[in-house]
Amino acid sequence: MLVKDCMTRHPTLISTNTPLTEAQRIMVENKIRHLPVAGSGKRLLGLVTRQRLAFKPEFLASLNVWEITRYLSSMTVKDVMLKANHVHTTEPEQTVERAAKIMTDKKIGCLPVLEDGVIIGILTEIDLLLSYQVMLGLPFSGVRVTIRMPDRLGELAKITKVLGDNQLGVVSIGAYPTPRKDGFYDAVLKIPRVDQERIRQLLSQIEGQEIVELRVDE
Amino acid sequence: MDKTKKMRNRDDAPVIRIHDLAVAYKVRGGEIEAVQNVSFDIYRGETQGIVGESGCGKSTVAWAIVNFLGANGYVKRGSIKFMGQDLVGKKGEDLRRLRGDQIAMVYQDPMQALNPSMRLGDQLKEVLTVHRGLSESKASKHCIEMLERVYMPDAANVMNRYPHQISGGQQQRVVIAMALLNNPALLIMDEPTTALDVTVEAAVLDLIAELRRDFDTAIMYISHNLGVVARVSTRVGVMYAGEMVERATVEEIYKNPQHPYTQGLIRCVPKLGSDKSSSILYPIRGRVPPPDNRPSGCIFAPRCDYVQELCREDRPRLRQIPSGSWVACHFTEEIDPDQWEPPEDLVLPDISVREGNGKAVLEVKGLKKYYQVPGSSLKDVLGLKKPSLVKAVEDATFSVPKGKTLGIVGESGCGKSTLVKTIIGLEDSTAGEATFLGFDITKDLSARDQQLIKELQMVFQNPDSTMNPSFTVGQQIARPMHLFKTVPKKQVRQEVIKLLRAMRLGANYYDRIPRQLSGGEKQRVGIARALASHPEVVLCDEPVSALDVSVQAAILNLLLEVQSEFGTTLLFIAHDLSVVRYFSDYVAVMYLGQIVEIGPAEAIYKPPYHPYTEALLSAVPIPDPSAKQKHIRLEGTVPSSMNPPQGCRFHTRCPRREMLADPEICLTLPPWRDVSGDHRIFCHHSLETLSQFDPVITTT
Repeated sequence: MLVKDCMTRHPTLISTNTPLTEAQRIMVENKIRHLPVAGSGKRLLGLVTRQRLAFKPEFLASLNVWEITRYLSSMTVKDVMLKANHVHTTEPEQTVERAAKIMTDKKIGCLPVLEDGVIIGILTEIDLLLSYQVMLGLPFSGVRVTIRMPDRLGELAKITKVLGDNQLGVVSIGAYPTPRKDGFYDAVLKIPRVDQERIRQLLSQIEGQEIVELRVDE
Repeated sequence: MDKTKKMRNRDDAPVIRIHDLAVAYKVRGGEIEAVQNVSFDIYRGETQGIVGESGCGKSTVAWAIVNFLGANGYVKRGSIKFMGQDLVGKKGEDLRRLRGDQIAMVYQDPMQALNPSMRLGDQLKEVLTVHRGLSESKASKHCIEMLERVYMPDAANVMNRYPHQISGGQQQRVVIAMALLNNPALLIMDEPTTALDVTVEAAVLDLIAELRRDFDTAIMYISHNLGVVARVSTRVGVMYAGEMVERATVEEIYKNPQHPYTQGLIRCVPKLGSDKSSSILYPIRGRVPPPDNRPSGCIFAPRCDYVQELCREDRPRLRQIPSGSWVACHFTEEIDPDQWEPPEDLVLPDISVREGNGKAVLEVKGLKKYYQVPGSSLKDVLGLKKPSLVKAVEDATFSVPKGKTLGIVGESGCGKSTLVKTIIGLEDSTAGEATFLGFDITKDLSARDQQLIKELQMVFQNPDSTMNPSFTVGQQIARPMHLFKTVPKKQVRQEVIKLLRAMRLGANYYDRIPRQLSGGEKQRVGIARALASHPEVVLCDEPVSALDVSVQAAILNLLLEVQSEFGTTLLFIAHDLSVVRYFSDYVAVMYLGQIVEIGPAEAIYKPPYHPYTEALLSAVPIPDPSAKQKHIRLEGTVPSSMNPPQGCRFHTRCPRREMLADPEICLTLPPWRDVSGDHRIFCHHSLETLSQFDPVITTT
């Protein structure tokens, strides 16, 4: 999966001269946490996040009610935004895992997606979590099975052969080195249109592999 | 991925949210609220269809979004929020930037969106160089990619052409490509396919659906055609007299319409999937109230069959009912459309198969009409070169029995109108025979007898351009009576009033002038005028294509009634295959001047088909999202009739050509194959092969 497949296209954009109160309202009303700031032709100029709107309480405490109002109403997006040269971005052809790594490395919540300097989308934590659900087959119902296999060639082929021979298919597959156990791999498969017992019976025949976990996921 | 998309879409913020919108125009002596109580949301990757008859405010809503209301129009109430930002009151640079970068529009006439004096490439590139500041070469590369994306043949070359050098369908593709170049979040399409042929329309609609998926664009799709909306939309809003009366998903609207107006609309559209007897059209009585004179209660009350006291007093608001639809009706829960009975005063025509006496009134055999095209070279001017010919009608052969209707269908430019004009005598024929009641009618009109002219009359597509705007309705209808002396002078007035009554217009229309009539009324006057001389044959050239569906149903029923009363024979031209089926006894399908299939109406819509008929049928938009339709799209454009393909004229685009054992045979003229009785197909394929095709439309 590439960034272009899971990003949110047409993100809500604001301009530099938008009042800060307006930006805050847009975020709350639309339940969003990141607002890319765009100039003419949707070029990225900066980014406003909820943290950027959080003022230090001790700073506000030094002002009275009237001063706070005047102060806030005079502020525009330009005053608080993170400038474009400090914003981490990605491009539509990047892989999801690379994009996710930028986000975890920098501990940031979103990456504006740029093509020729023009904003074409945004990739947020939510988008990544959604793509994670899709990759593990959550939108489809079926039997979810975790199988542990030794780390050697041809093990996965054994599973697919058994399924294929029995006219079964998989809607999603994920594999990772078994945690806290060297030399083994775990694979999570989702198999639609079949009942639990049949899968247990079919897969337990495979030599050298064991079913770690099995459940029906509607 | 469809399923995964649904998972999130409706939780997100909408691209555009319109809430309780009212748009007013300031006019002399006050203001008119053209649009009231309109609310809807469009999410990413969704298409909101907006349907309704003309003048009900569909386009006004679209203009309000981009603030194109003109100097006297303004948003009176409500809000339009685009990506969370209020668009009402936004102006100057901010609005310009939004329109350029994030909202795009496609209108009905592509020629009005394209600059005729600039090359297409320059116009396309301009979008990118101005808005995005791309370099010339980069922009050009981008534009070619986008043109290829909209399936423009020979994209690189098209960049160097001028708008008039490409066809209408291609022009609309260029406009769509231009709209998508900036990757807009919202695309507003106002009747983008109305001016196109069915086959081209089908291809453009496919394209729109595909682009919505690929670019996740929110589309607002305005159309008066229920079939088109069913094909492209995910949600549909029905507008009536400036208000949104129903809003639901596309499946709900067509399967389970809630508002009486929506039910009425669906009843007056001809359905292709069902058989002829179930395709009776029930027009909605009355007409849309003008915006300055709307009823104070429910706006639909004067035309509603279920009207009650409450409806006249209190205007219903849009409310959500358990099925999820939003309806503006007080009694929607109590209305069951299956229990609906046509009101008693509605006269329905008898569409059962009528027994004629079988004698042919009009017989045409091998009729040809060629036009000479003057060239511009010196040789042409001196007359040394043989003039080139446009073969508009080639070998037309058919006969129409008395009291029957022959429908003629085909794409534009296939010679339908020329055929009719040749028969009525506006053009003389080049070769062939045509006899009417035994008289030869191949010659020009001037050579015809008065009596013969009297017996052949015509109804035109556009009543506006065929009526003298300064003559009263009475004078116009009386004119043929005076000319042909069919009625004694003293009785003319009575006779005209009798005709007006037959057209359901009433005597008070006698002294009106055309501009005081609505489109449907004008067309009724046009029909009355054609009937004034009691003709034997009436030729109708697209008499209903410019009219709204409810008016169209009324006019069609009226024509059928006239036919059964006077025993008139009709020739009926239309491009809409569903209308023709309802209306005709026989149908002829034309392609590039050649009749390719002719036969009884029922037989045309079932296999065996001519491959062209099959393609036409699969392109017709059906107002039923559950109907399954074969997906056949013709490639390329109709070849020029100046230089038609050799042999079978359809072979250059024929989707069934590959099935022939020897494709070269297409270069010779195909034989006429007799299916049964009057049903004939002009094709190289054998009848066995043609019969094997599946039916194009299957309804569940």
